[in-house]
Amino acid sequence: MLKLIATRALLGLVTMFAVSVLIFICTQILPGDVASAVLGQGATAETLAVFRKELGLDQPAYYRFFDWMFKALRGDLGISLTNQHVIIDELLPRFQNTLFLAGYAAVIAIPLSVGLGILAAIREGRPIDRISNILTLMTISVPEFFIGYLLIMVFSVQLGWFPSLSTVFPEMGFFERLYNTTLPALTLTMLVAAHMLRMTRTSVLSIMSSPYIEMAFLKGMTRSRVVAHHALPNAAAPIITVVALNLAYLVVGVVVVEAVFTYPGIGQLMVDAVAKRDVPVIQACGLVFSGVFVGLNTSADILAILVNPRLRHRR
Amino acid sequence: MSNTNDPSNSSLIVDRRQLMAGAAALGLSASFAEPTFAADTPKKGGTLRLGMKGGSASDSLDPSTYADSIPIAYSLAIWNGLVEIDAKGNATGELLESWEAKPGAAEWIFNVRKGVHFTSGKEFDADDAIYSINYHRGETKSPAKGLLSAITEIKKLDSHKFQITLSGGNADLPFILADYHLIGLANGTKDFTKTDGTGHYTLEAWEPGVRILLKAKKGDYWKAGRGNFDTVEIRYIDDTAARTQALITGQVDAVNRLDPKTANLVAKNPAVSVVRTKGNGNRYAFVALRDTAPFDNYDVIQGLKYGIDRQKIVDNVFSGFATVGNDHLVAPTNKYFDASLPQRAYDPDKAAFHFKKAGMTGPFDLEVSPGAFDEAVDCAQLFQESLKKAGASLNVKRVSGDGYWSNVWLKSPFCAVYWGGRPTADDTLSTTFLSTAEWNDTHWKRPEFDKLVIAARAELDDAKRKHMYSDAQKMISDDGGMICFAVADYLDGYSKKLRGGEPHARYDLNDERIAEKGWFA
Repeated sequence: MLKLIATRALLGLVTMFAVSVLIFICTQILPGDVASAVLGQGATAETLAVFRKELGLDQPAYYRFFDWMFKALRGDLGISLTNQHVIIDELLPRFQNTLFLAGYAAVIAIPLSVGLGILAAIREGRPIDRISNILTLMTISVPEFFIGYLLIMVFSVQLGWFPSLSTVFPEMGFFERLYNTTLPALTLTMLVAAHMLRMTRTSVLSIMSSPYIEMAFLKGMTRSRVVAHHALPNAAAPIITVVALNLAYLVVGVVVVEAVFTYPGIGQLMVDAVAKRDVPVIQACGLVFSGVFVGLNTSADILAILVNPRLRHRR
Repeated sequence: MSNTNDPSNSSLIVDRRQLMAGAAALGLSASFAEPTFAADTPKKGGTLRLGMKGGSASDSLDPSTYADSIPIAYSLAIWNGLVEIDAKGNATGELLESWEAKPGAAEWIFNVRKGVHFTSGKEFDADDAIYSINYHRGETKSPAKGLLSAITEIKKLDSHKFQITLSGGNADLPFILADYHLIGLANGTKDFTKTDGTGHYTLEAWEPGVRILLKAKKGDYWKAGRGNFDTVEIRYIDDTAARTQALITGQVDAVNRLDPKTANLVAKNPAVSVVRTKGNGNRYAFVALRDTAPFDNYDVIQGLKYGIDRQKIVDNVFSGFATVGNDHLVAPTNKYFDASLPQRAYDPDKAAFHFKKAGMTGPFDLEVSPGAFDEAVDCAQLFQESLKKAGASLNVKRVSGDGYWSNVWLKSPFCAVYWGGRPTADDTLSTTFLSTAEWNDTHWKRPEFDKLVIAARAELDDAKRKHMYSDAQKMISDDGGMICFAVADYLDGYSKKLRGGEPHARYDLNDERIAEKGWFA
């Protein structure tokens, strides 16, 4: 089993390297160049040339790639082309904000949807199963900005319970942050709940049709006991995978929600950087995003191996 | 519409308040104003919260990087401009108190205002002023470099006086020095992580893309009646709906760039007022290269200009919050705007006549993108419809917004563009229409036009100058390759508690100076 885990971890690293190459290539083929994007419509040929040289854009691509990669390994993500700030200093607080929001949403969404999923499996075909299915399907079927605006309309414009601007500042306390970010966290919860709930329900139910479950029923166990003790451990692997996938989505896929609630997360930083062709910032954001994605999926794989009874007790 | 400030009414308000502010700024006795306008006396205190679009996480404090509303707003709170533009569009003294041109307008003497101090305590003097101008000359990426290219020499005369020599006469030099890049820096400033300005506010928190927090300095501001807030917070709110909601729910006191589609709804809110500045926002246009077939044909251009239903675009795309354009870029608020030039109206018969004469009815390829401006595609589709009645066809090609300004604009034979307002007629015409202009996006090159504009530049006789600019506008409107169909309004939203949000001849949010000019009632 150790070998299996080591292979997964190694594969994760290889994926990261491949992704970093891709990120670099993609940022090189973005249309337009950074100098004209930064200087905007106001740029003249002369000012462009000065700026390009200043940025080191006259160096060959492979040189810039290895230079960038080795520096990134040492935690040096470079300096923003547009405002000459150290990228890591700008990225970290925003990344923390993103993690905070993702964490908040996950704390609501995961217990809620996994719990409801199990409940739905136990009560298959009953009202609780139907209602939770329909509700979560509805929330996943409308675009996230729509949910966001709907929540704003009801809870901040009509009722005035929560602010429509969820901007957080360094001097804010923990509870103030929680209060400010409630609406975006709820929006995200609605986005990811359906996927996790249905996956939990389906994987539990598919185990329910296997012979050993039938055996458990024949022994006279109650349905809830069969689900919790016999079906769930074997259904855990796909649930862990889907939870990890949704966690990753909460971190990397929230650009729209950030925009609707004016939340200073990493997504907005990346959008700004793309608009301005600030290549080092795009690359840094790309690296962080892919790191989160690959990291979460690798840990999900490893966890799935660890909880799988068949893999734990090998013949 | 009833709650929206009608520009014709509000101009009255502007006049007297501006008169007062102007008098105060010039150090004249303000007493004559006080008894009459006691209700309008600025009060001190409070936190101004602005929700703005027009900035990003990559904003910097370095004036050579400013390109949008938020940097202009925070720079004018921390520093001061060299010259201020008043509500009517005249150049008035700021850090440069007064000036005088020698005949020919090629040599200028500027007097630096005395008694204005930096945060560090040093007085602003001629060396600082000269450095502030030179910062945008020579080896620099500053967008203001082109504006200042006519300056050949800047000579210090005494501690508060200097002379600028131009390569050719230009009666608009004070307007050029009012450009928002030209803020009063301390001599030798290179590091903008530490700010040292003459403005009333100091930088408290610098989080570009999120917020900028500014705190008032102790003591009185050198401009009487201004700099009234204790704290100013500029929030970056890119999403228009989020910005509008923030204003309505009272989380901010003022916002810029309201959506024309919802402005009427916003104005119905009793706690909010919408201020509309007519005719000075972005100019929206389609530009055809006049040296490329088929647009080198005068009749094709005429056909296109008569074949666009401007009013329909204004009504449908901009919900009426725009004015129709007349194919040149000079603003109706500019004193050299030629009001006698007839507005070109939609006339399919005339258009058909010109297309027939040219022997061409298209299809003409027009490249548009939301990257040019948000409404570009909608405008192009309406253009396509209206051309059909003239028997011509337009092929609307939607292209990527990424890299639009470097890959499409100035290169495509026919594409969409917007132009921001510029303070002077000369600036407006020279940047876009001179043969030598870097951004001549129509490749319209007429030596007689060049001669006219350059002569008008140095003309100190106002009547003659007006006549020359009027001729220039006629030439472009008739023969030029630009189809400027709409000029947007600026739409600001203010809380009713906030005062000082009058329309301005240049930019929105009272020339981006609401932090300096406003106060709470």
